[in-house]
Amino acid sequence: MAEIKDPIAFELFKNTIFSIADEMALTICRTTYSGVLRDNMDFSTAFADADGKLVAQGLTLPGHLGSIPDALDVVVDRFGTEMKPGDMYIMNDPFDGGMHLPDIFIFKPIFVGDRRLAFAATICHHADVGGRVPGSNASDSTEIYQEGLRIPPLKLYDQGVRNDTMWSIIEKNVRIPVQVFGDLRAQLAACHIAEKQFLELVGDYGEETVEIYMAEIIDYAERLTRAAVADLPDGTVSFEDWIDDDGIDTDQTIRLFVTITKQGDSMNFDWTGSSEQVKGAINNTLSYTKAASYTAVRSILPDGIPNNEGVFRAIGVEAPSGTIANAVLPAACAARGLTGFRMVDCAFGALALLTPDKVGAASDGGNTGVSIGGYDANRKPYIFVDFACGTWGGRPWADGLQGNSNIFANMASQSVEVIEAEQPIEILAYEFLTDRAGAGQYRGGAPYRRDYRFLEKEAILQVRSDRRAVRPYGLYGGRAGKPSMNYLNPNGNNQVLTTKPTMNISHGDVFRHELAGGGGWGDPYKRDPDAVLQDVRNELVTADAAREEYGVVVDTEGWTVDMAATEALRAERGDIELETVIWD
Amino acid sequence: MSQFRVGVDIGGTFTDIVFLGADGKVVTKKVSSTVDDYARAIVDGLAEVYEEQQLAGADIAELLHGTTVGSNAILEAKGARTGLITTEGFRDILEIRTLRMPRLYDLQWEKPMPLIERYLRRTVKERVDSEGNVKDALDPAEAERVVQTLLDEKVEAIAVCLLNAYANPVHERAIAEIIRAKAPDLPFCISFDVLPEMKEYERTSTTVINTYIMPIVKGYLESLRRELDSSGTAAPLLLMQSNGGLMTSEAATRLPANIVESGPAGGVVGAQALSRKLDMPDLITFDMGGTTAKASLIEKTEVTRSLEYQVGGGIMIGSRLMTGGGYTLKVPAIDLAEVGAGGGSIITIDAGGSMQVGPQSAGAFPGPVCYDQGGTEPTVTDANVVLGYINPTHLVGGALTLNPEKSRQVLEEKVAKPVGLEVAHAAYGAHQIAASNMIRAIKAVSSERGRDPRRYAMLAFGGNGPLFAAGMAKALRMTRIVIPPSPGLFSSFGLLYADVEHHYSRTVRRVLRDSDPALLNAAWQELEDQAREQLAVDGFSDGQMRFRRAANMHYKGQIFELTVPAPDGVIDAAAVATLEEAFGQEHEVTYGHRAGPEEPVELVNAMVVGQGIPHRPRVPDRLINEAAVGDKLPPRQAYFGPEAGWIETPVIRRADLTSAHIGPCIVEEYDATCLVPPEATASLDSYGNIVIKLKD
Repeated sequence: MAEIKDPIAFELFKNTIFSIADEMALTICRTTYSGVLRDNMDFSTAFADADGKLVAQGLTLPGHLGSIPDALDVVVDRFGTEMKPGDMYIMNDPFDGGMHLPDIFIFKPIFVGDRRLAFAATICHHADVGGRVPGSNASDSTEIYQEGLRIPPLKLYDQGVRNDTMWSIIEKNVRIPVQVFGDLRAQLAACHIAEKQFLELVGDYGEETVEIYMAEIIDYAERLTRAAVADLPDGTVSFEDWIDDDGIDTDQTIRLFVTITKQGDSMNFDWTGSSEQVKGAINNTLSYTKAASYTAVRSILPDGIPNNEGVFRAIGVEAPSGTIANAVLPAACAARGLTGFRMVDCAFGALALLTPDKVGAASDGGNTGVSIGGYDANRKPYIFVDFACGTWGGRPWADGLQGNSNIFANMASQSVEVIEAEQPIEILAYEFLTDRAGAGQYRGGAPYRRDYRFLEKEAILQVRSDRRAVRPYGLYGGRAGKPSMNYLNPNGNNQVLTTKPTMNISHGDVFRHELAGGGGWGDPYKRDPDAVLQDVRNELVTADAAREEYGVVVDTEGWTVDMAATEALRAERGDIELETVIWD
Repeated sequence: MSQFRVGVDIGGTFTDIVFLGADGKVVTKKVSSTVDDYARAIVDGLAEVYEEQQLAGADIAELLHGTTVGSNAILEAKGARTGLITTEGFRDILEIRTLRMPRLYDLQWEKPMPLIERYLRRTVKERVDSEGNVKDALDPAEAERVVQTLLDEKVEAIAVCLLNAYANPVHERAIAEIIRAKAPDLPFCISFDVLPEMKEYERTSTTVINTYIMPIVKGYLESLRRELDSSGTAAPLLLMQSNGGLMTSEAATRLPANIVESGPAGGVVGAQALSRKLDMPDLITFDMGGTTAKASLIEKTEVTRSLEYQVGGGIMIGSRLMTGGGYTLKVPAIDLAEVGAGGGSIITIDAGGSMQVGPQSAGAFPGPVCYDQGGTEPTVTDANVVLGYINPTHLVGGALTLNPEKSRQVLEEKVAKPVGLEVAHAAYGAHQIAASNMIRAIKAVSSERGRDPRRYAMLAFGGNGPLFAAGMAKALRMTRIVIPPSPGLFSSFGLLYADVEHHYSRTVRRVLRDSDPALLNAAWQELEDQAREQLAVDGFSDGQMRFRRAANMHYKGQIFELTVPAPDGVIDAAAVATLEEAFGQEHEVTYGHRAGPEEPVELVNAMVVGQGIPHRPRVPDRLINEAAVGDKLPPRQAYFGPEAGWIETPVIRRADLTSAHIGPCIVEEYDATCLVPPEATASLDSYGNIVIKLKD
């Protein structure tokens, strides 16, 4: 690895190329039609060098961290020698470089004269790509063929000429082509902006220098990553966690297992030991398993490291094929988000054993997906897709966040008022729950519930949730968070639903989802009594729970802690040996 | 006899005061801010000028004021103890926010503390649907109990924000009546009066902020008024709003959310006035001080505004995609992009061997190493000293002496040596990297919105703006730079150009081509009536009122909106078609593409700005600045990159530019230093602005 020759020119170049990648992201974000794309920030933009090595990724979804190189590899392998200026490529097939079908990649090779110098890359989650269920993200599909339109790497434009066949096939295979075309247009626009600005950069620096600096940015990220990894303790740690079920074989838990080896300035994530691939649509491609692993490790490294190939050189990720971490045909994978979120928690669990002071207990397990879809009285299709997440586990230095996106997604919630104005849905509640966070010296975040009342004649309700049988773990004496729950008509006959139901609902039905509480960190009896008092006053913890779980006696008339009673209660239990991981 | 108008801008360190006479006479004053009671510095500063200029309070026609009292209350959590009443099931809207956080991969992230703690957030059973129909009637007895609970908790103000109240405020008004009856003197706000727009989080947050700072702003304005009166200054007080318009202190007391970002607005309003006067309709403003740099866009002589921003959201990079860092305020504000770069930004070499400037800053204390106040890390100002750009012996306009040798030593040791560069080259690199960081702010308001910066002139101000302007312009391929007189005081000077303005909006949410033009017409008309009423209260006659309409729209199904001007007069079918076309064009300009005619456009919010036009032009054409002209200055060696190297550079006064100078030269003034690089040409225009032309 060469040192940077001209640190000033290099920094100026790096600044420019990252700002182009960000500008691409802004273009997509602001013109999108898709709520999933905007609210979940479910898109990414990037620059790669002429060989397809990632140089700069825009400020976008952690879940896409490993995706672009794997996809570009396939395109370069297939078309590398015959690419021409004006070509643009499209693909989404998870078994040919993609992630899951709604994620459509668009690539534009950038040429100077006849010479390919770079790629502009975009990936967007589209609202619908056909298949058996509106939204194309059902968790109960059992093979990829049910999930929608599969696009192998193809030319969307051939030397500037639009591939009309491709566009027509897309148009006839998706439910709402206006939305898909709108978002494809945004992707094309982002690639064009990238090309224009990149060529200006070439004009300023010259082709040679641009190539040298692109390679240098990758080396630079590798140096930073290795320096940061070297600061972590060496060792090998393993962690296991379980997904409740895949929605098909509902009595079978699914094992996630990771072994992290940290040696010197490199790290390896080995997912061997994870379950065989499953029938339900929660199987990962290896690229998604990589994204989860990179996200976990990036979260404990200092910031300022560019996202590119250099990071990936220092961090290995492997998983045997045919497992949930690296599925093969004909695995369904539309709802693989669930597995990705849970892999991040699993990897954090392992990292907590390696570096106990850097990570917290388990989150709510990532977002729950709720979709309600059907046809209205005029046979017009509607699709309502909503995601909910919001609690972090307690951390070695502070409580878990509550009402905050999971770290793997950074999603935003949809406005209740916008939902009510646009959908045949009324939201009856969106509010924190009491006594559901895992207790700890630093407690988990309080989960919330979201209640939906359905106002059309009938629809199919489909839910992807988890963390009920296997709850969010606590660490170093902290208790597990309380489980997630699904109910139909909680104020009527109150039927408890499974974690992943697909069912018909009709006018007036109310579906309630309760998120799981975040796991706690550290001995609850060590929690500052004033913090417990504040929780009781804020009705996040009841006075009974304060006494039982925290050993704190609160006077709810004068809003004070009864210190004498608290000390007595805590002394009665005394010090105990703390378990490292608590599932409850 | 001469009547003066006075602009007063309060910053964290200094309070800037500018007097402008009807004859164009300009007098400026800089005094230290009095943080315990900001009003005192104003009154004392005024008194000093009165004495120096033999004036009295009666000579003042009006006082125009930009203040940070609102944002300070929010950022320091020193607002009123406030209660919130909301719909049952939605107690936590304020705390859950939109879930999003401003940083990726950050396990250390802490959300901003909600301004109202959960036990002071109370709910009532009621329900209005999205069409405004009452589904569950409010029970007045329950509402009374809830109000009483909050009063028992000794709240100092109450905010009310119910679900879907933008469509029908009947329940909010009923609760308002109850509060009025039970606690006649208690400040309160209902969301419909603050922001009658859809989206419960944005409306709740804005209403809460308005309520939370209301007693603070009111107290401040009353005490300022009292002190002004007792010093014989009876002139009316007008407040700068975040949107660049003025409002009376009475109006500001009712809607203080509008004055939260009044600080940086003044400079941009001044820029707008200059753009008209100089016939430069398209300008990019660049305002750089000690800790931050800000950019904004003037297009066709109009300022650009954003409809929502975050107080304390931190610095811009990324924040346009990544919200959640601060407190959301959905009120129109001048669209500013901000980066954490200033004279105090610290220069480091990172673990990967690359040079970084900022985001850490040495601040005002200890400040740059050359201040000799104990600073140990090299800063941008130290680099500028080494380069010979700023006066090496003392801080311009200040008593502080500089120690240039310390700058050189620290740069040598901590920057130049580790990367094997000559110290001047390293300092030059730091200067360039600082400029490249600030360029991101300019890109955020221009190229990221489809505007090519080459089409714009740059207006640079702030204490450090004129030092970096030419280098940044060159990197952006901009060719013309304007530096106004007293660039360091330009923000307070800009206050003098502002007009009284009120912004109104209302959610309509209708597909244009399917909607009844009469209904749209009524929406704008209603807003115009509201604006007219307020302007009449402010004392403007019908002939002095100007109304501008705007429409906030998107393609149906799209999530983000663009705002375009809406036609005046009666809205008929033709006007609706014009509006639809205008949206398509704006979409094309901003994003490089537009949808086909099959895709309908939806009007989300109708908006009206009502402006009060004064009888006379507010600022005379010619300004007479009596700032002292100093002695002749010796030339000094300055470094202009490895190719040009060290050059003996003339140091001149602004007045010397009556004949054009070809760079390099350095223009030293009381409050700023302007750098004219080699090959650039600098001259004075007839208004006293420095105009720098770069080679194409």
